[in-house]
Amino acid sequence: MNDIYQFVSGPLAWVAFILFIGGSLYRVIAMIAEVKKKEPFIFTYMSLKYSLRSILHWITPFATYNWRRKPVLTVVTFAFHICLFVSPIFLLAHVTLWDESWNIRWWTLPDGSADIMTLIVMASCVFFLVRRLTQREVQFVTFVSDYIILGIVAAPFITGFLAYHQWFGYPILMILHVLAGEVMLVAIPFTRLSHMLFSPFTRAYMGSEFGVIRKSKDY
Amino acid sequence: MKKGMIIIAGILFLSSVMLLSVHSQEDVTEVDRSVFTNPQRPAAVFKHDAHNQNAGIENCNECHHVYEDGKLLEDESSEDQRCADCHGPEADGNKPSLVKAFHVNCKGCHEKQQKAPILCGECHVR
Ligand code: HEC
Ligand code: HEC
Ligand code: HEC
Ligand code: HEC
Ligand code: HEM
Repeated sequence: MNDIYQFVSGPLAWVAFILFIGGSLYRVIAMIAEVKKKEPFIFTYMSLKYSLRSILHWITPFATYNWRRKPVLTVVTFAFHICLFVSPIFLLAHVTLWDESWNIRWWTLPDGSADIMTLIVMASCVFFLVRRLTQREVQFVTFVSDYIILGIVAAPFITGFLAYHQWFGYPILMILHVLAGEVMLVAIPFTRLSHMLFSPFTRAYMGSEFGVIRKSKDY
Repeated sequence: MKKGMIIIAGILFLSSVMLLSVHSQEDVTEVDRSVFTNPQRPAAVFKHDAHNQNAGIENCNECHHVYEDGKLLEDESSEDQRCADCHGPEADGNKPSLVKAFHVNCKGCHEKQQKAPILCGECHVR
């Protein structure tokens, strides 16, 4: 078991992080190059002020019309995204591993708080799943790939949670957890999870177009 | 509703019985961790003498080491001192923080073994 864990958390983790960082850079640079080639006039009206105005509104709960229209979805969406980022980055176990391998460390969450944030992520995933299965308006725009992506995101949290509590076969779950985390990292640049990379650009573009050209708000 | 409550109460009862039975095993010895004021993990399992016999460690100073001017002194040992006497909560030059001193010492050797624990939960057993 030790050698399998050392393999997935060693060489395979290198592969995953290289694909994640390299793939993300590639996708963003390719996108900017494409805009430059096909619609270079967009750059003439990109505005820092309106970009930030749009981004700030959209990352503030209830600050946009859309967020106010569906309050429950908005609360779940914000709770989900905050916990999704904060819990793995500030997880004591993850920072311990960074420290032991790279001699860098940063502030960590108490394990109890990380555990609750993990539960919030898992509950949000169930909420999104039920919404996709029951709401007609989302059913129309749902594909099999949406369920797969939801599963890819949920998997590191489910396996991490079970491993943390040492329920059901700890070492195997730990290996599955690392694999699940790596699948998710690699999926970020190459699936629709890439909205993580692109949404700031989308908002900057929309904000500038609405602010500069249409003289109106995009929120 | 009522059924649900009974099931939840049952789960709570069973898990507390399991917790108690784990924590009352007398032969489990742990590293004294009173220096950690707000411990996040269950105490690490470490049966001092049995461990060192199983692992076939001859020299006490594999762990209880003494350094002088950054050099390891081959035939001196510090078992009269606790790790915490030299290793503080923060790293100090080449001297790792206390938690890291334990982890590097224990895991560093275990990673070269086939059967020794390297996962958090294999030492910090719940
Ligand atoms: C080879 C055994 C071993 C492994 C594996 C191990 N630890 Fe430890 N750990 C120790 C020992 C020994 C101590 C010091 C004594 C104690 O606290 O029980 C310690 C202390 C700690 C402490 C400080 C005390 C506390 O509970 O707050 C934390 C935090 C910790 N370990 C987290 C982790 C995490 C996270 C992992 C996995 C990434 C891990 N440990 C893996 C042996 C281990
Ligand atoms: C694998 C590492 C390791 C080895 C090898 C080792 N020890 Fe220890 N020993 C420890 C740790 C860890 C502690 C707890 C230190 C602390 O609490 O700061 C300890 C504590 C002690 C203590 C004080 C605690 C007590 O039991 O009352 C004595 C005495 C001791 N060791 C003697 C020895 C002797 C003698 C040897 C060699 C035959 C030896 N040790 C080999 C790790 C080791
Ligand atoms: C007498 C003081 C003293 C005691 C007691 C002591 N250490 Fe250290 N330790 C040091 C010093 C000094 C260094 C820095 C060595 C250097 O300069 O490279 C060090 C370095 C280390 C390192 C990193 C280098 C290495 O050997 O891998 C580890 C790990 C470590 N100590 C673990 C422990 C553990 C575990 C204990 C208790 C069993 C312990 N130390 C007890 C003084 C001490
Ligand atoms: C110099 C090498 C070495 C160091 C240092 C070391 N271990 Fe081990 N440990 C081993 C080996 C080898 C085994 C496997 C023994 C076997 O095959 O049963 C082992 C096994 C264990 C086990 C499994 C149960 C047992 O006792 O066999 C635990 C728990 C453990 N070590 C805890 C620790 C902790 C905690 C520390 C640090 C304070 C530590 N070890 C430091 C070599 C080491
Ligand atoms: C995006 C990827 C990842 C996510 C989202 C993630 C998330 C999590 C979560 C939620 C936990 C449990 C926290 C709790 O319930 O309190 C956890 C634990 C853990 N994770 Fe990850 N993780 C990821 C990747 C990785 C990778 C790549 C590794 C190793 C190389 C790793 C190693 C660990 C370890 C060692 C634990 C602790 C288990 C324990 O306490 O026994 N994780 N992770």
